[in-house]
Amino acid sequence: MAEKRKSMIKIKPKKYKVGDIVKVDFIVIHPMETGMRKDKKTGKIKPAHYIDSITFSFDGKPFTTMKVWESVSTNPYFSVKYKVTGKGKITVDYTDNQGEKNSKSKKIKPKG
Amino acid sequence: MERRKFIQSMFTASAVAVVATPMGAFAKEEKKASKKGPNDMSFDDAVKVITEGKEVKDSDKVKLIVPEIAENGAVVPVKVNVDHPMEEKNYVKAIHVLNKGNSNARCADIMLTPANAEGYFATRVKLSKTQEVVALVELSDGSFIQSAKSVKVTIGGCG
Repeated sequence: MAEKRKSMIKIKPKKYKVGDIVKVDFIVIHPMETGMRKDKKTGKIKPAHYIDSITFSFDGKPFTTMKVWESVSTNPYFSVKYKVTGKGKITVDYTDNQGEKNSKSKKIKPKG
Repeated sequence: MERRKFIQSMFTASAVAVVATPMGAFAKEEKKASKKGPNDMSFDDAVKVITEGKEVKDSDKVKLIVPEIAENGAVVPVKVNVDHPMEEKNYVKAIHVLNKGNSNARCADIMLTPANAEGYFATRVKLSKTQEVVALVELSDGSFIQSAKSVKVTIGGCG
């Protein structure tokens, strides 16, 4: 099931210094199927398929972990705040209930 | 003669309709109840699991930002802002986003650390009908505070 998913990390605002608090937005293209909808063509119930855990980490140290259920929308968006401490890499690891594991990372480059 | 027949038929038809409607409604309700998701949980059960029986206080510290009227229940933006310091020993430990009307009351649990610097979380959730969204916040000293707001949903988001 190692299907490649499109995902994106956005840091807001774009320019930041050490000590600034930035917004870390994470967006992933995922169906987030609840397991309650019927397929209109076949009439069978679609199996549940949703992201169930997400970990935000900076240079390998996790700073936010999430448990997620099917009530979150399709193509989910998660946003947390983070205080910039220096150069490094923010990594987001996520797994879904069908065992699919993926990760996405973005470099942090504070100016000044 | 014709008129009499017509009136008679009207009567029978209406009688049938009166009998049929409650039965139909009942059947529909039953169908809805039997529609179960993979991990259903009622709101009260979810709160019990999270707090383990501890008291939950309503607080102004938790700012829950949701639209009053959501046109599309499939995409309802939810923003939680907790007005609480994020220091080494005194911080917001977790934010739980819950709903009262979906079959699974839990939307997301977010475990924060002092590195976040602010108790903030934003996401988008699905709501099946008009209901209340609740943000339950756990502080590092083990106490719980919450805030709730109702959202009017014109088109449900769960199929």
